[in-house]
Amino acid sequence: MLSLVDIDLGYKQQIVLPKINLSFNENEHVAILGPSGVGKTTLLHHLYQQLSEQTCLCSQAKGLVDNLSIYHNVFIGGLARYSRCYNMANLLWPFNKPQQHISAICQELELTAPLHQKVSELSGGQRQRVALARALFQQQPVFMGDEPFSALDPLMGLRLLNLVKQAHQSVICVLHDAELALAHFERIIVISDGKVVLDDKANRLTLAHLSQHYALADTVKNAVA
Amino acid sequence: MPRTMTFAGFSFVGHWQKITLLLLLMVSVCWFFADTEVIALEPWIELGRMGQGFIHPNFFATEYLFEALWQTISFALLGITLGLLLGFPLALCYQHPLIAAICAFIRAIHEIFWALIFLQIFGLSAITGILAIALPYAATFARIFSDILQQAPRHTLFSLPKGTDKLSAFIYGRWMHMYPQIVDYIRYRFECALRSSAVLGFIGMPTLGFYLESAFRQGHYEQGGALLILFVLLIGSIRFWAKPIFLWLYLPLAIYFLPPIPAIDGQIIWRFLSVDILPPMLQGQPFLSWFDIDILSKVFDWAYKLITQQVFPGMIATLVLAFCALGLTYLLTLILLPFNTRLMMPKVIILIMRAVNLILRSLPEYLLAFVLMMLLGPSMLPAIIALALHNSGLMVFLMARQADSVTVPLTYQPRIDQYSYLVIPNLYPHFMGLLFYRFEVIIRETAILGMIGVMTLGFYVDSNFSEIRFSGALLLLVFTAGLNVIVDYLARRLLH
Repeated sequence: MLSLVDIDLGYKQQIVLPKINLSFNENEHVAILGPSGVGKTTLLHHLYQQLSEQTCLCSQAKGLVDNLSIYHNVFIGGLARYSRCYNMANLLWPFNKPQQHISAICQELELTAPLHQKVSELSGGQRQRVALARALFQQQPVFMGDEPFSALDPLMGLRLLNLVKQAHQSVICVLHDAELALAHFERIIVISDGKVVLDDKANRLTLAHLSQHYALADTVKNAVA
Repeated sequence: MPRTMTFAGFSFVGHWQKITLLLLLMVSVCWFFADTEVIALEPWIELGRMGQGFIHPNFFATEYLFEALWQTISFALLGITLGLLLGFPLALCYQHPLIAAICAFIRAIHEIFWALIFLQIFGLSAITGILAIALPYAATFARIFSDILQQAPRHTLFSLPKGTDKLSAFIYGRWMHMYPQIVDYIRYRFECALRSSAVLGFIGMPTLGFYLESAFRQGHYEQGGALLILFVLLIGSIRFWAKPIFLWLYLPLAIYFLPPIPAIDGQIIWRFLSVDILPPMLQGQPFLSWFDIDILSKVFDWAYKLITQQVFPGMIATLVLAFCALGLTYLLTLILLPFNTRLMMPKVIILIMRAVNLILRSLPEYLLAFVLMMLLGPSMLPAIIALALHNSGLMVFLMARQADSVTVPLTYQPRIDQYSYLVIPNLYPHFMGLLFYRFEVIIRETAILGMIGVMTLGFYVDSNFSEIRFSGALLLLVFTAGLNVIVDYLARRLLH
């Protein structure tokens, strides 16, 4: 699907990840792990730019527009499918068909707040589910997420991950929850110190393998305990 | 040991302290050169009558009171509407340096000068008043909207589905993020437009200012007092009568009840553009002969004389006046701010101060200066005080809102030391930003004070217009605008 060969990643002068070599196949579920600030989001954004024709990007809740309703925020995922006149008219007077579609998605995501509620009034977990609903409404074969389940409780996170996997052929996620990654993704990529330090099938790895490369949140917790 | 101590002291002088010291230095230098002599007149009888006028206002002395009120609102409304229609598209292409430069130039010329120019073309017609507001406001909207839209979070646009059309991307991804700020700003500008509209009365437009000025000039203080009280109430009650929903009603009414617009005479416009605005030695000469050596040298002499005798003295007076007013505004705002925030004062005092602020920022500087001149005699002092009072009224109003939103620790006590440690440092960068923006505004406002005889650039522009020397007036306006553009540029450089 996509191969990076000796690519330098970063912003302008500041290269965060020099000479990266990675390839991604279709129908793969990939988790990207690593300590914070190491360049995981940079990598994900680069992947997204390469594959933006067939990808939806879901970043926690960063892309939400606070002044718009839940309905409109989810509808943003469908902007490219409709004409500009339709989009403008829908802003003033929401159409019925997308409303039904979006309402069904929200029900699946257990987002029970009324569709006309502004997202600025929602909790962190609700906002994250609005962002997920937008990605699902985009109906693309590839899903890319930047910690898309971080504000949800583990059970809910798992349920939504399964929904995302059902709806997309390929899933690439930046995660901080190593256990979730090991149990539910096929391939794990660990980035640390500006390079890819681990890239392997998940069923051949354990938490112990991962903790050799960076301090896992859980091991830190254990150490403190 | 003492030596190292002083060094340590100096190292605490940070960015904002340096800027403040620089500002205070400039102000003291200017204050030294400013003509601030107090000439004790015997104003007490006149002031007493003025006070009597405010105590016993006569609301029925003005014959066309309702019309004047309605025209004031209607010019402001139509001016703002046209300004928005022009300003929005300009905001979208404001990134282009040429557009930004043209807007800076248009903005730099005060409404009253635009009115004086349009007066030559359209006469005392409603078009003059509306355009005089719309044009500079459009240029201001362009800049502010472009600034606001730039602040929209980038991530929404980045993650939009590929293939989204440009309009939908702009509206959903940028506009919807920022529109509350934009609406807030339009609301604030509407208040400014009401003031501008009233001020246009001073040059003869049929708004409140016209009746206000004639009442004060003729000493009919009970009439003037009534008009001023009405004007302050009009501005103070904006949020009750200018609800967005009512605007759909006002706007058609404003258009329908416009005073009849006299037919536009194409010949007058053409004459103004092709003859009147040319230097006297070029008027009536064929275009090709303009470049003859002796005509060119005459033009050069004319411009040289104008620049040395009017532009430079006017510019220096403008800057001296503006710096003194800026310094006083700075001090007054810092002194008044604690009285206006819930972090220092109980509710009762804040309510009283709100009323004081409203009066300070609603009174046209022109009238304030006019009254102060009777008290202090003809010098720069009345103008300095008038500008400072008006601007600090506005600054305190805007800063108090900011101050009230500062989060303080639970242990906070409303004392001056806690306020200085926990509140002021939070506000200071914003405060200085606002102050430097006001400096540009103050320079523009010195224009009006020129019309009551303070010899700023505005004074020379006004006298050129009244002597029907349009070419001179335009040359002066170009320099006035240039000065504003430079000041704006320097202020932005200093702050960023």
